Amino acid sequence: MRRLILGLLVLAPAPAAAFAARDMLGHPLTLPAPPQRIVSLVPSATEIIFALGGEDRLVGVTDFCDWPPAARQKRRVGGMLAPSLEAIVALRPDVVVTTDEGNSQATFDQLAGLAIPVFVVRAHHLDDVMALIARLAELTGRAPAAPPLVERLRGRVRRVVEAVRPYPRPRVLYVLWPEPLIVPGREALVTELIELAGGASVTAGLPGAYPRLGLEAVVTYRPDVIVLARHGGDETSTLRATWERLAALPALRRGRVDAVEGALLHRYGPRVVDGLERLARAIHPEARAEARAQVAAGAAR
Amino acid sequence: MTEPVRRLAAVMVGLVALTLLVAAGALMVGSAPISPRAVVGALVGRGGDVERLVVLDLRLPRIAAALLAGAALAVAGVGFQALTRNPLADPAILGVSSGAAFGVVVAQLFGVGATVVAALGLTAFAFAGALVAAAVVYLIAANDGRLPVETLLLAGVIVGLFFSAAITVLISVVEFDRLAGVVHWMLGNLRAISPGALAVFAALLALGVWLILGRARQLNLLALGEEAAQQLGVEAERLKRRVFVGACLLTAAVVAFAGPIGFVGLIVPHAVRLLLGPDNRLLAPAALLAGAIFLLLADTLARDAIAPGELSVGVITSVCGAPFFVYLLRARHRGGSLL
Repeated sequence: MRRLILGLLVLAPAPAAAFAARDMLGHPLTLPAPPQRIVSLVPSATEIIFALGGEDRLVGVTDFCDWPPAARQKRRVGGMLAPSLEAIVALRPDVVVTTDEGNSQATFDQLAGLAIPVFVVRAHHLDDVMALIARLAELTGRAPAAPPLVERLRGRVRRVVEAVRPYPRPRVLYVLWPEPLIVPGREALVTELIELAGGASVTAGLPGAYPRLGLEAVVTYRPDVIVLARHGGDETSTLRATWERLAALPALRRGRVDAVEGALLHRYGPRVVDGLERLARAIHPEARAEARAQVAAGAAR
Repeated sequence: MTEPVRRLAAVMVGLVALTLLVAAGALMVGSAPISPRAVVGALVGRGGDVERLVVLDLRLPRIAAALLAGAALAVAGVGFQALTRNPLADPAILGVSSGAAFGVVVAQLFGVGATVVAALGLTAFAFAGALVAAAVVYLIAANDGRLPVETLLLAGVIVGLFFSAAITVLISVVEFDRLAGVVHWMLGNLRAISPGALAVFAALLALGVWLILGRARQLNLLALGEEAAQQLGVEAERLKRRVFVGACLLTAAVVAFAGPIGFVGLIVPHAVRLLLGPDNRLLAPAALLAGAIFLLLADTLARDAIAPGELSVGVITSVCGAPFFVYLLRARHRGGSLL
C-alpha cells in the first residue's frame, strides 16, 4: 500500500516550481510558483522585506509603511485596519502579508473570499523577529540574505546586553500612548527589549500585550526612568507635561524622562535593534559614558 | 427671611454638605492602595512621596475638575431648557457639544498644545464651534419664534451628526499621529489638570454660571411665554442672548477641558426639577451642585470600575442618561408636563 502511494506520488506531475512555506502562525502556504507580486499590510514586514533586498517583489504597502523612505514610493492600498480591497486586487498579488494583530478580521474574510493567499506575521519576542526575517526571506526569494542580517542584528543585541550588564536595573515605565494611558504588558516586544536594555519594566507583569492603565496605578510603581514613545516627528504626542507635574516620582527627581521614537520599538522589523540601543541609552546613560571613556582611553594609548 | 430664600438656603446647605461628603469619599478610593488614614496624612503634608503625589496631584485636581465640569454642564442644561422652553434640551442633544468638539479638533490641527494659554485658545475655538452649532440648530428649528420639540430635537441630532462626521473627516485626512488621541477624547474623559489650567477652567465657568444664574428670575418669566415676559418688563431678546452665550460658554469650556460629556445637562436639571419644582431661582443653583455631585460620582466609578484600567466618564453618563432620556420622552407622550 505504502509503495503504491509512493508510486503515485512519483507519477503525479510535479508543479513546475511549486512554492511551499509556513507563515508565523504555522499555516501552510502553497503557491504554484514563488510569489512575484507581494502586497504588505504590515509596516514591520515592509521594513524587513526592504532590509532583505526583496523589495522588487513588493508591489503594494499601507499608508503606515513609511520606512525605509523608498517604501513611500510603493503603491499604497490604504490603512492597516481598512485597506482598499479594490486597490489590493488591482495589484494582482500572489500573496498578501497580513497580521492578526493589527489587520481586521473583515480584511481576512474579504481576501479569503477572493481566494487571495495570505501570509500571516506576528512577533512577541526578539526571537520571533529573527524567525520572521528568515521566513520573509524565503517568501521573497532572498533566503541567503537572512542569515547575515540576523547575525548582524544579534551581534548588536549582544553588545547592548554586555554594555549594561555591570549596572543595577532601574525600574522603567514605558508609555506607549499617553491618553488613554497604554503600557507594554507581559506579551509586548517592548517589555523584552527593556529587560535586554538593562531595565526592569514596571508593567511587565500585566496581562496581555498592551493593557490600558490609570495614571494613579502607574504612579504607585514608582518608576526610576520614564520612557515616552514619540509618534511622528515632534514630541507633542508624548504629552510630556503630564509627567513632569509628577515631580515626586524618582524618575522626575533625577530628571530621567526620555522620549524615544515609538516606531523603533512597536514595530518588529530590523530597526527594533536601533530601538533597543536607544532604550539602553535612555536607561543606562552611564554605560554609554563609560564606553566613550574606554574608547578615549584606548585612543590615548 | 422670606420662605423661598429660606428654602434655597436649606437646599444649598444640604447639597454643599453632600458635595463635601462625596468628594471626601472620592478622595479615599482609587487603584493605588492608600488607606484613609494615609490620605488624610497626605492632605496635611505627611506621608510618603507617592501617597502625596496620588492624593494631591492626581485625585484632588481630578475631583475638582469633575465638580466644575458637572456643575457647568448642569447649569448649561438649565439654561438651554429655559431658553428653548423645552425639557429635553441639553448641550449634547442640541448638537452644541459636537460643535464645540469640532472647534477643539480644528484648534488641535493648528497645534494648540497643553499650556494654560493653549487651554484658553482651545476654549475659544470650542466656544466658536458651540455658538455656530447652537445658532444653526435654532435657525433650523425656529418657526415663527416658537421652537417645537420635535423640530428642535431633530435639528440638534442633525447638527450633532454633521459635526461628528466633520471630526471624523478631519481625523481621516490628517496624519494619524496628530489626532489619534482625539478618538479617546471624544468619549469624554476627566483627568488631573494642572492648577493653572484648573484656575482658567474655573474662571471661565464662573463667567458662564453668572450669565445664567444672574437672570434666574427673568428666566422664570420667560417660561410664561415671550409676550408675557415682555409685558412684565423682561427684555426677552437680550435675556435670551445672554443665556445663550452663557450656556454655550459653559459647554465649550467643558468640551475643551474634558471632551464632550453627554446627558449631565439633561438628567440633573430634571431630577432637581422633580424634587424642587421649576423655579429657576432654586433650580439653577441646586442643579449646579447636583451636577457637580453627579459627575463626581460618575467619574469615581470611571476611575475604579475596572481598576487598574479606567473607563471614560462620558461612557458612564451616557449609560445612565440614555434610558433616562427615553423615560422623559415617553412621559411627555403620555401627556405629563415636565416643565
